[in-house]
Amino acid sequence: MELQKFTYDNKLTRMFMLVTVLWGVVAMLVGLTVAFELIFPTMSAEIPWLVFGRLRPLHTNAAIFAFVGNGFFAAIYYSMPRLLKTPMYSKALGNIHFWGWQLIIVLAAVSYPLGLTQGKEYAELIWPIDVLVVLVWVVFGLNMIMTLVYRRVKHIYVAIWFYLATWVTIAVLYIVNNIQIPTSFLHSYPIYSGIQDALVQWWYGHNAVAFFLTTPVLGMMYYFIPKAANRPVYSYKLSIIHFWALIFLYIWAGPHHLLYSALPDWAQALGVVFSVMLIAPSWGGMINGLLTLRGAWDKVREDPVLKMFVVGVTAYGMSTFEGPMLSLKSVNALSHFTDWTIAHVHIGTLGWNSMMNFGMIYWMAPRLFGTKLWSTKLANAHFWIATLGMLFFSIPLYFAGFTQALMWKEFTAEGYLAYPNFLETVTQIMPMYSLRAFGGSLYFIGALLFVVNVWKTVTSGKFIRYEEGEAPAKPAPKAGEGWHRKLEGRPLQLTVAALVVILIGGIVEIVPMYLVKSNVPTISAVQPYTPLELEGRDIYIREGCYLCHSQMIRPFRSEVVRYGDYTKAGETVYNFPFQFGSKRTGPDLAREGVKSLPNYKPDSWHYEHLVDPQQLNEESVMPPYPWLAENKLDISNTASKINVMRTLGVPYDEGFADQAVAELKKQAAKIGQGLRDANIQVEDDTEIIAVIAYLQRLGTDVYKDK
Amino acid sequence: MATENKDLHNEDYEFDTLTNERLIKDHNYDGIRELDNDLPPWWKWLFYLTIIFAVVYLIRLFVLHSDDLIQESEFKKEMAGYEQQSTSAGGTTEAAAFQVRLLEDEASLASVKETFEKICAVCHLADGGGLVGPNMTDNYWIHGNTVQDLYKVATNGVIEKGMIPYKDQLSDQKRLEVVSYILFKLVGTTPTNPKAPQGIEY
Repeated sequence: MELQKFTYDNKLTRMFMLVTVLWGVVAMLVGLTVAFELIFPTMSAEIPWLVFGRLRPLHTNAAIFAFVGNGFFAAIYYSMPRLLKTPMYSKALGNIHFWGWQLIIVLAAVSYPLGLTQGKEYAELIWPIDVLVVLVWVVFGLNMIMTLVYRRVKHIYVAIWFYLATWVTIAVLYIVNNIQIPTSFLHSYPIYSGIQDALVQWWYGHNAVAFFLTTPVLGMMYYFIPKAANRPVYSYKLSIIHFWALIFLYIWAGPHHLLYSALPDWAQALGVVFSVMLIAPSWGGMINGLLTLRGAWDKVREDPVLKMFVVGVTAYGMSTFEGPMLSLKSVNALSHFTDWTIAHVHIGTLGWNSMMNFGMIYWMAPRLFGTKLWSTKLANAHFWIATLGMLFFSIPLYFAGFTQALMWKEFTAEGYLAYPNFLETVTQIMPMYSLRAFGGSLYFIGALLFVVNVWKTVTSGKFIRYEEGEAPAKPAPKAGEGWHRKLEGRPLQLTVAALVVILIGGIVEIVPMYLVKSNVPTISAVQPYTPLELEGRDIYIREGCYLCHSQMIRPFRSEVVRYGDYTKAGETVYNFPFQFGSKRTGPDLAREGVKSLPNYKPDSWHYEHLVDPQQLNEESVMPPYPWLAENKLDISNTASKINVMRTLGVPYDEGFADQAVAELKKQAAKIGQGLRDANIQVEDDTEIIAVIAYLQRLGTDVYKDK
Repeated sequence: MATENKDLHNEDYEFDTLTNERLIKDHNYDGIRELDNDLPPWWKWLFYLTIIFAVVYLIRLFVLHSDDLIQESEFKKEMAGYEQQSTSAGGTTEAAAFQVRLLEDEASLASVKETFEKICAVCHLADGGGLVGPNMTDNYWIHGNTVQDLYKVATNGVIEKGMIPYKDQLSDQKRLEVVSYILFKLVGTTPTNPKAPQGIEY
């Protein structure tokens, strides 16, 4: 058989690898900053772009899309050509992919601190950047598909199945979740609202975890673990079963983020059962990773690369067991809205994602630079510090989660809430927040050791840009192959099959939410927001209030007594986007404006509290927002916002857009006068007036008659 | 571990020297080989069990309409249990014995400072100096200065001024303790940043 010669170009692999290191450090640094902001709430020093609500999206997005994303791309540009025996199809597409992705990251890093956001978790990017993401994703996919076309091996390896499933699913998720109508160049409203938006968003959000933090990393695992251990993959059969089961089941699990919400029972039930069924397929990946190391455990003792992989895959197994447990309604009733969730995610990101990235780069950097790892000792130190850091991060947060959940639910013998003041339950867990910040600091120090080690390795070697390869031309298919083997020889069909498999769950859950009216029963008392409230709501979203305050009262006695009647689907219909939130660092605000409820506060209280929360309560962990009282409310876009709302079906009268600003000023003047009567010097045209108007409107519609 | 695979014939195998398990011969991707191991039985059983769980769960919801899976029924049940408890506890005898009278003994007021600082301080500040709510240390009162007057405000609130009712959050005794604390302990003290007097001087 004649061998064909070709050349691997390592340049893009090197670029992706180095930015992975860079963005990893940035993501962790921002994470550490927000962890400290929870302990020292005034740390943001009244600087808007440093405030928790604006930095938290930066942390999550940087960790997901910059750190894990670039690591995934480095893995692809390294492993795909070698698995397919052909260079990547196009250097130009590769460069567009690389620079386009870095541009998106930089734009995210600028736009989030400026408060430019869509207000949907992990999908906060504003619409012009969304367009860019889609374009770059297409370029990336094209480069991958064309490389497959020119491959010299007949069958594609399991790692590439995962790469392809990632690509096609993320494309579907990202596009569907981000359909929106712009009101200006920097602002838009999603076409979904309320509970429907929540379902689409968590279908996306959960599967961002599945298809951005899981499937690409499983692909990495399938290439780099056998390579580093020099051992065969444990079971080909398991690869097939767990791949298809995983991608089919994962897509259904989104509603487990909305248990006990206004989502109909049937959708919640699907979220529960599909999450539980995910345990085995997830563990299939873990088993295939860990059992591949049989016969290589002696190497694991010495090689920091394998150590990282072992802890990474184990953490994957832990969090994919914990996830289904958290999806059981009885567990979720406790865990939801608490730090338990935060602990759970970080086992995934610090344990699985980061360790896999660290291991891969410790393995890849010496090979790209024709040298040995600069210091195995330092890498071992990194391993131990990172593992300890992860434990110090998570274990205190588990305690914080249980503690706070139990305090929220506790009643006295006389039937009153034992802790009526929400803040008490926060003060109680502050020591746990400090321990978490300590764990995070440890982890960050470990990451700095990683940077030094990679840097020293890179500078001590010489970059090997080109590597020669040779392989026979692509063989013809053999007769008598099994059906799956045939599919492995047809990547396009495999991708289409993956697409069909992932579409089923999404369609079954989302379509009925739109077509079956009983899923969102109409409540006639619920009216659209006034223009001032709408502007206030957009500021609420801009400041990331939803990252600490939920607007979803669950049907439990402890919540109904504390916050008022539980949230109904029909109440959420004008919420573009929905603002249920996923964490209660502060109290729920769904009925903040209802005067007959325990949470009600007068306008003057909201003013004082927004400007300086610690003045009202020293122990408050809310950051101050003094700029709200200084900034003039931007009303240049109000009419356009009303028009877009009308397009989306919100029943504002025709021509209302033209009167919107006048309406807005009238309402603002009334609130402003009220505040001045309470001896607060405030102008009617400041942002704080709009925010107060919004807060006082929250949840009031269904209480109007009472 | 190795089992028959119908798709593959014996000549398609080599053996892994370390584990003696069968390697699939033509599976070689950049040097990565694959073993022909079967799925671990415990893994298969785990998968079957979760599927059975799912089927049973969905039957319980869609066919049997089990109350614990329908959240409205679940909620009603929880609330019904609570209401029954509170009516059976009665409390009528206690209520009859309860009188709104200024508490002046240190024992009754021992724990109330904490309550004031947690609940009332949110508007009146911890030292009673007032910010959103009026100053509690001076002798000016908007709604009267007797213990009965203050008790009424704490119970029913003055909602148009932003004072919410506390009858559902604090027990009768606790509310009485709080207003006694204000009259007995706070009035006459000097807070750091006193709010200007509001109401009538008594």
